[in-house]
Amino acid sequence: MNSKPVSGDRPARLGPLHPVRIAGLVFLLLVLSPMTSHAMSGREVYEKVHELRSRALDRKTEATMVLFDKRGGKRNRTLTEYSKKAAQEAYKVLVVFRSPADLKDVGFLIHARTFAERDLWAYFPEYKRIRRIPSTSQDDSFFGSDFSYDDFGGPPNLDDYKFDILKEEIIDGRPCYKVEVIPKVRRKYSKYIAWVAKDLWVTQKIDYYQDDTIYRAGEFTDIRIIDGIPTPFRLHVENRKTGHRTELTIEGIEYNTRFPDELFTQRSLERGGK
Amino acid sequence: MDPMKILCLLTAVMFLFAAPCPAGDLLSVSGRLDLLGSVALEGDSIKEDPSFTGRVKLDLAPSKWRFHSWLEGGWDGTVKGPVRDHSLLKSWDEVYQSNTPFLEFKELYVGYPAGALELRAGIQRYAWGRLDEYPINDLLNPWDYTRFLRKSLEDRKIGVPSLSASLNQGDWDFDAVWAPILVPYRLPLPDERWFGASALAAFARIPNAEIIPDEPDLPPRTLENSTVALRARHAGDLEWALNLFHGYDPRPVFKTTALTITPEAGKVLINPGFVPDFHKITVLGLDAATVMDAWSLRAELAYTFGRRFNIRQELWGYPVQPAPGNFPLNPIGHKSDALDYGVGTDYRLFEDCILTLQAQQTLILTRPDTLYERKFETLLWANLKKGWMNQKIETNLNIVYNPEHGDGMAKVNAWYVFTDFWKGGITAVFFTGPPQSLFGRFSGNDQVEVELRYSW
Repeated sequence: MNSKPVSGDRPARLGPLHPVRIAGLVFLLLVLSPMTSHAMSGREVYEKVHELRSRALDRKTEATMVLFDKRGGKRNRTLTEYSKKAAQEAYKVLVVFRSPADLKDVGFLIHARTFAERDLWAYFPEYKRIRRIPSTSQDDSFFGSDFSYDDFGGPPNLDDYKFDILKEEIIDGRPCYKVEVIPKVRRKYSKYIAWVAKDLWVTQKIDYYQDDTIYRAGEFTDIRIIDGIPTPFRLHVENRKTGHRTELTIEGIEYNTRFPDELFTQRSLERGGK
Repeated sequence: MDPMKILCLLTAVMFLFAAPCPAGDLLSVSGRLDLLGSVALEGDSIKEDPSFTGRVKLDLAPSKWRFHSWLEGGWDGTVKGPVRDHSLLKSWDEVYQSNTPFLEFKELYVGYPAGALELRAGIQRYAWGRLDEYPINDLLNPWDYTRFLRKSLEDRKIGVPSLSASLNQGDWDFDAVWAPILVPYRLPLPDERWFGASALAAFARIPNAEIIPDEPDLPPRTLENSTVALRARHAGDLEWALNLFHGYDPRPVFKTTALTITPEAGKVLINPGFVPDFHKITVLGLDAATVMDAWSLRAELAYTFGRRFNIRQELWGYPVQPAPGNFPLNPIGHKSDALDYGVGTDYRLFEDCILTLQAQQTLILTRPDTLYERKFETLLWANLKKGWMNQKIETNLNIVYNPEHGDGMAKVNAWYVFTDFWKGGITAVFFTGPPQSLFGRFSGNDQVEVELRYSW
């Protein structure tokens, strides 16, 4: 039997420096390299997200929050959020619960002097006392929900995080950047992965990790353009460890509000924003 | 002119200007019903019947004017039957108001916010100071002691008719309060559960004894006898406030008259010979709060000019062997300036678990040996609060201790939220210490309470 290939019966093997082989290697490098396959960096994606969130800082939101435990039990909350851009990197937020009765007029106030420095207060009408909240509590559950206090704050300080685009994926029919975000300071989560819609710069999905396990996951849907600002009207967050989940539905939202500074004082917090 | 009349006139004028505006009305009504039962753990202690109480809060904002009312009422199980006081509405004239069923306006005021300034007139409750349970600068409202500390701080407060003004200027807030009349604190009757142990214990054991304390003569309602308080607050990394109070001390102090024991129609009527005594004090106070890492810190300080204390009960002059007759008692008051100070902190141990610690002390500047209180009187508080299952369950463990007398109170409770409207709770409370001490006088009142609450 003849072991050598015969010309015309089988294609010749390519040498190591054959142009086709070189072109194939370059093509593979381009496809596999995350850094070179996207026009933007992870940081640049988040700068866009940040810019949008800053534009949305002057707003009033009326929302309903439903808390589901793993047995299907439900608790309902309604709240009003007032937000104001105070300066280039400063903002103020007041959140007041309207229901249920034992949370009525319970409030939460944030004064962010910069995106990195925030003061937080909570008011409990039952005690008629305002309490300062340390920023170490920012990742804690927001009044029993699966959202955190930080979720109700404004844009974060981008310098506190590292950003890497992992890939691009389609979520709800929209092309998204899948971005890994790792905090440089100690947080409850070791990282989160966010899917940011490329055309809207809004987060559509987010997974929070503790070590290698997703402990909290969120999906943000029903995105509508209000005053030129893409706004998810349904926010769903689930705690994967406990099986508890929270659905927040925006019932009404106004942008470009011009709230006075007096609305964001401790006195206003005591009066439920009235 | 009677200052109370001035306040009523001002309130009426504000009501007249608060014309209803149907198009812009904002009405909010909420309320709550509580069913409370307690089981005494000491078999021979005075029992308490179940209580059924309710509250309705109403907020109305026609245009800029705001109307607020908070009405409470119901059946008070601490009142011993047969009921001796048949008035329905709680009054501002009496210390011993043993009435059930009852109604009370805890708050009833009209407010007018005009930008940075807000005015309010009517029955109000205030929350000055920073500390929990016994805030040092929180003197504007007298307390209802008929359930001792079993009511929360805000529920203990009796609303006072007053005029208040609040001005915000950036990081500064200025408050002024004028309360034209003295509203006295409320005490339980000697045969009710929360009167506590006292020198009267010997008299209570007399067969068919009925102890009827005298009502005090309240100071005349003149402008000079009104209460004024001012506060300046500054917000910042360190928040602080300067407080000034000039008015009647809301803390109970007594003077003696004479013990009388009179047999009458099969009963033995006993007038214990002491009545609440009211004195004006001036208090200059300071409070502050800040956060440091995971710690939320707060502190208070208050210097009181002219505070009154009572001497030890064994020196009041009660006869060793009670018998029918009239027995003059010794003077029991002592006047001294006092310095109160305290610090408190909240520390987040982990998510939904907060440890609150508080230490406060009273320094009696000129203290004779006849006083029960030591020169320094200390209260150490700790509370561990934990939420479970996304705050469907809340548990609290609370301990307070007075090292000078070795008395204290421990309380453990749990609340379960059934639905948005219903929640239920169970509390066990224990007291220990010598009979004249703050907590020790209730050492026979250990109990378990069960509460069912409906809110809307």
